[in-house]
Amino acid sequence: MGKNMVFKIIFNIFLLLLIFPLFIILLWSFTKIWPWPDLFPKAFGLRGFQYLLNPSNNSLRILGLSIWLSTVVMFIAILISIPAAKALGLYHFKGKGFIKTLILAPIVVPTVAVTMGIHVSFISVGLANTFWGVVIVHLIPCIPYSVRILTDVFEIMGNSMELQARILGANKMQTFFYVTLPMLAPGLITAGSMVFIVSFSQYFLTFLIGGGKIVTFSMVMFPFIQSGDRMMASVYSMVFIWTTLLILISVERIVKSYYKGENYFYL
Amino acid sequence: MYNKLKPYIMLTPVLAVISSVFISGLVMGFLQSLGHFSVIGMKQFTFKYYKEVFMDRGFLESLKFSLYISFVSSVTAVIAGALLAYSILQNKHNKGIEQLLYKLPVIVPHSVAALLAYNMLAQSGIASRILYHMGIINAQTDFPSLVFDKNGAGILFAYLWKEIPFVAMVVYAIWRNMNDQLSEAALNLGANKRQVFWHVLLPLAMPTIASTFIIIFAFSFGAFEIPYLLGPTAPKTLPVKAYIEYTNPDLTHRPYTMAINMILTLISLFLLWLYNKAFQLISKYNHESRT
Repeated sequence: MGKNMVFKIIFNIFLLLLIFPLFIILLWSFTKIWPWPDLFPKAFGLRGFQYLLNPSNNSLRILGLSIWLSTVVMFIAILISIPAAKALGLYHFKGKGFIKTLILAPIVVPTVAVTMGIHVSFISVGLANTFWGVVIVHLIPCIPYSVRILTDVFEIMGNSMELQARILGANKMQTFFYVTLPMLAPGLITAGSMVFIVSFSQYFLTFLIGGGKIVTFSMVMFPFIQSGDRMMASVYSMVFIWTTLLILISVERIVKSYYKGENYFYL
Repeated sequence: MYNKLKPYIMLTPVLAVISSVFISGLVMGFLQSLGHFSVIGMKQFTFKYYKEVFMDRGFLESLKFSLYISFVSSVTAVIAGALLAYSILQNKHNKGIEQLLYKLPVIVPHSVAALLAYNMLAQSGIASRILYHMGIINAQTDFPSLVFDKNGAGILFAYLWKEIPFVAMVVYAIWRNMNDQLSEAALNLGANKRQVFWHVLLPLAMPTIASTFIIIFAFSFGAFEIPYLLGPTAPKTLPVKAYIEYTNPDLTHRPYTMAINMILTLISLFLLWLYNKAFQLISKYNHESRT
């Protein structure tokens, strides 16, 4: 009994350390004055949100563009990851181990090094400072997650269901849309969410390849954090987190409304 | 013939993106690091920039600082994460809290994690305010500077905030999915809880812990945002140093920058190789426990 109590306390300390800092930025985002050493704001206000909502600051337009960009990245990443994951999950072939490692590599190899290396080439082919240039580089840190998550799903799923459908006379298209995709649905939610998150929070890649022409929400948020403007930084962080949550919920809803799968979350 | 080629055809789109951006980015970087930068007419192949990098004290300081940050944060994250996973295992919680632990650190980006650390640890932050009210310090300046400091306390806090729940969820997943029979058998044979933890649970999770350690080590080693936002002016971590060298308007300086990038890449490729080794160990493990 006593031992369990100890672990309960440990668990709650961790939980507090996770949530308390977030609670502080929630407070800061509604703060007007909060001088040191007060433990609670002296006055509340909405100046930060007013600034963000003011059309002349473009923040909402940039938020919209960011959501659009990351959604495009999500679709492309999922689209090309499905066949790749199927190959890795269901087939045996030469070089499989190497290809798996290669696809995982962008998580481990610093994006800083890759982006600086490719920057000159992107400039020379005219992809630098363009929407599609940014989409293409965003695929690099996203693909490892989508391929890995979907590979796991294919491995668990196997191909017996697809074979049955084929034997019963379904053609390739029918098998894909009525058998493979519904079974894949929970994995699509996880992979899609992960890709969206990774793309939406990219700073360095967008900054370098977008060259200031393509500005995302992560980039507008950055200078506020850098300058230590707590109130503004907290407002933008809150909007960032809530937007991400909202998108994740919508992804889940949309996929589920098409395929009523079970409610589980691979990761 | 077609069936043999089929998996490769299915992999083509992904591999095309990876080779045209990722691999070619690294190759271009490598060529430039050798002094081959045709855009400005540099056409040599030499290792002199690497030599220059290794002779630079600033570089060595950065390398040391980067290794220190990654090592301390990853070791702490792995130990604390395993502890957290074990305490989740010991208490039954509702799924909601587990989901929260799962998702929050994934959703919050590195730049916001840096803000969290700044809010908590800066001299005007929450920690110093609490200490003031406890009567431990009397002025802001009594509080040690824990952000932009040479020990990287702020950086470590931000990484740990993101990594501990991640490690915990990975380890917890192993223990939850593991057969209860093993720990029950041990308990029946008279082992106490502590022995079950050290001799059953921990060894089973060890390969996973090792591979998670490598992943977070490599990630923090190559990440830019957190050390850029919270790091001291000197030493800087390697990715931050590389970026600052990159912004040098003198393009003949580029090979030097790329040499730093290549060293960064080489270290992370070594970590990837280690990760693969750990992964092979996991499958060997699983295989043995099944037979």
